[in-house]
Amino acid sequence: MASDLLSIGRSGAQAARVALDVTAQNIANASSEGYVRRSARLAEVSSTGGMGAVGDVSLSGVRLEGVVRNADLFRQAEVRRTGADAARADAEVAGLENVQAAVEQSNVYNAMVGFEGSLQQLVGDPTSASLRANVIESARTMVGTFNIAASALDAVGTGLRFEATDAITQVNTLSGELARVNLRLARAADASSDQTSLLDQRDSLLQQLSAFTDVSTRINADATVELRLGGASGPLMVQGGSAGTLGMTTAGDGTISFAVSGFTASSAAAALTGGSLAGKAQALVKLAAVHARLDSLADTMAATVNAAQTAGITPANAAGQPLFGGGAPFTAASLTLALPDGAGIATAPASAGANSRDATNLNALRTALGSADPVGGMDALLFDISGTVQGRTVTRDALRTIASGAQVSLQAQAGVDLDQEAVNLVRFQQAFQASGKVMQTAKDIFDTLLAIR
Amino acid sequence: MTTISTSTSAFYERSSMDIADLRSRAEGLQADLSRGQRIARSSDDPVGASRLRQLQRADSLSQIDVANAAKANTNLQLTDSALGTFADYVTRIQELTTQAANGTMTDAARASLGTEIAQIRGNMIQLANSRDVEGGALFGGQSAGDAFTVDSAGNATYAGTGTAGDLPLGDGQNVTRGLTGPEFLKLPAGSGQPDLLAALKALADGLQAGGAAAVQAAQDGLAALNQGMDQITTAQTVVGTRLAWVDLTTERRTNLGEMRSAEETDVGGTDIASTVARLQETMTVLEASQASFTKLASLSLFSLLN
Repeated sequence: MASDLLSIGRSGAQAARVALDVTAQNIANASSEGYVRRSARLAEVSSTGGMGAVGDVSLSGVRLEGVVRNADLFRQAEVRRTGADAARADAEVAGLENVQAAVEQSNVYNAMVGFEGSLQQLVGDPTSASLRANVIESARTMVGTFNIAASALDAVGTGLRFEATDAITQVNTLSGELARVNLRLARAADASSDQTSLLDQRDSLLQQLSAFTDVSTRINADATVELRLGGASGPLMVQGGSAGTLGMTTAGDGTISFAVSGFTASSAAAALTGGSLAGKAQALVKLAAVHARLDSLADTMAATVNAAQTAGITPANAAGQPLFGGGAPFTAASLTLALPDGAGIATAPASAGANSRDATNLNALRTALGSADPVGGMDALLFDISGTVQGRTVTRDALRTIASGAQVSLQAQAGVDLDQEAVNLVRFQQAFQASGKVMQTAKDIFDTLLAIR
Repeated sequence: MTTISTSTSAFYERSSMDIADLRSRAEGLQADLSRGQRIARSSDDPVGASRLRQLQRADSLSQIDVANAAKANTNLQLTDSALGTFADYVTRIQELTTQAANGTMTDAARASLGTEIAQIRGNMIQLANSRDVEGGALFGGQSAGDAFTVDSAGNATYAGTGTAGDLPLGDGQNVTRGLTGPEFLKLPAGSGQPDLLAALKALADGLQAGGAAAVQAAQDGLAALNQGMDQITTAQTVVGTRLAWVDLTTERRTNLGEMRSAEETDVGGTDIASTVARLQETMTVLEASQASFTKLASLSLFSLLN
């Protein structure tokens, strides 16, 4: 028989000491970001009988098999995926709300209604100088609001692209760090503290990356990770110890597209579907569409008014000059007021004389504006943006709920529960005390043997 | 037995997120109350916001219709009173002409009657050239100058445009803003003279000339005056009808305005009673969750171990 009471007791005390250390580590890191709860895995030391002693009863105590990280790969992947979706929805809603504020708060709609009203008022007395001046001032206000809306939309676009550039810098930094972690993981011994803290770092980097872009990961046998952007068929971003570089190109209408360079000869296009980068890209697409519609409304308004102006005569019996300037086609940013004086408004048809109170041309202008209906088009544009914002907000709230559900599920497994750790403290303390008693018993037995004379 | 464990940090995060959510909802309701408007941005209720925009557009255009209707009203009132004066003049001339048609009068008496008739005709021409509220010719249609020009011989020719033009009253309704001179001065075909002023000139000249033709001129003049009076009375009826039409559209516009503002309050206004009730409910839930969080957070196994 080759078991030794003293060494069995000693191994028990040692194992209990290690388990207590692990418990204390958990308690100390209960609020650390990205910390995964550790637990000590203990296993029996088994020893077989030796030569000539087959069938022996030999017991050798307990040993620490390893420190286990309680993190499920699936749950972590779920947290990354849902987190990327929620981040995309967040970024998109924020961008779209800014677009809505730019168009709505510049008050273009009210200015267009005011211009329409001033024309209607002019019908009552077409030769009145004050009513004509009112028309010119309403037109000036309307041109001003169009210019403000266009520059506000440009500012929103610039802000979104600036934030996207910043996010890309972060993605590149995180990918570089992930590559370095990969290198160290390849060298770390299995189940050592070195490896567990590196694994924690790796998972935390992956989670931070998923806030910016959706990632597809493949964990290799040696715990290093291979990272692709934008789904399993996307371009390679991190492999082994090398990381690629994500870049952004801006198109003519302000929309952005992404490409990864460094692994292939030419840069590979990345179609991102999650994360804040994808959200900002989608918001920029909508911004470009809104800007184009605003420009076409300005063009409709200005072209209709100018056409009616050239078809009539002013009170001075001169041909009407264009009221709006800024080139054809007119855009919201380039629209200007070309007539400074109310005397240039052509209310009378070409067949009337000087100082005629015939308002036929003015009525024709009002009819043309009524059928082209740029005011109704502006209302439709505002309704379109606000409907989109409302829809995306509902989506965002739902995605947030799903993401927090995945987080809770991961934390239930990987997070530290202080009550559980308190129970462990009591348990391993008792185990330590019991192993100490075992050693005491071994000493007593030995003393008994020594006391034989 | 399956156990659902919660990590400590997850508990704190969830609790703080829930409490922050309740708080922001309560603040949103309070902002609705203080603003009086339910819709702060269009995305709060896109359909409602679009409806509000359309109602406000209809409101501001309707304000301008009020101004136009008042203008039309004033001009038509001026026309009405001018036509009344015209009718008085024609009645006076009819008295004078009846006297002149009497065969027992002397030529000199008839001549003095003719002079008085010419004088009254001059007044009528001046009345026909009066101005409307904007400074244009009241009976000249859309021209800026005088409605009738008088040449050296005393003939009056109409110098205005063909129609007086329409004023929009809203909802696609229009009203013609006045009458042109020919519309009430023109005599029907076959009466010998084109219009009343020419007939009166012929009458005055004939009476002043004297002789047997004067009596004939007086009788012709009476016939023309009767027809002219008919035209003036018809014109007065037309103007009265238009004034009634303006009143009708004004009343309709007021009703529509009231309906619009009722709809605006419905769609965009805050319902104070229900908002206050929701605010109370949210605050009660907030207090309860804050109290339960405090209670749960103070429970710890460590405080029981010694």
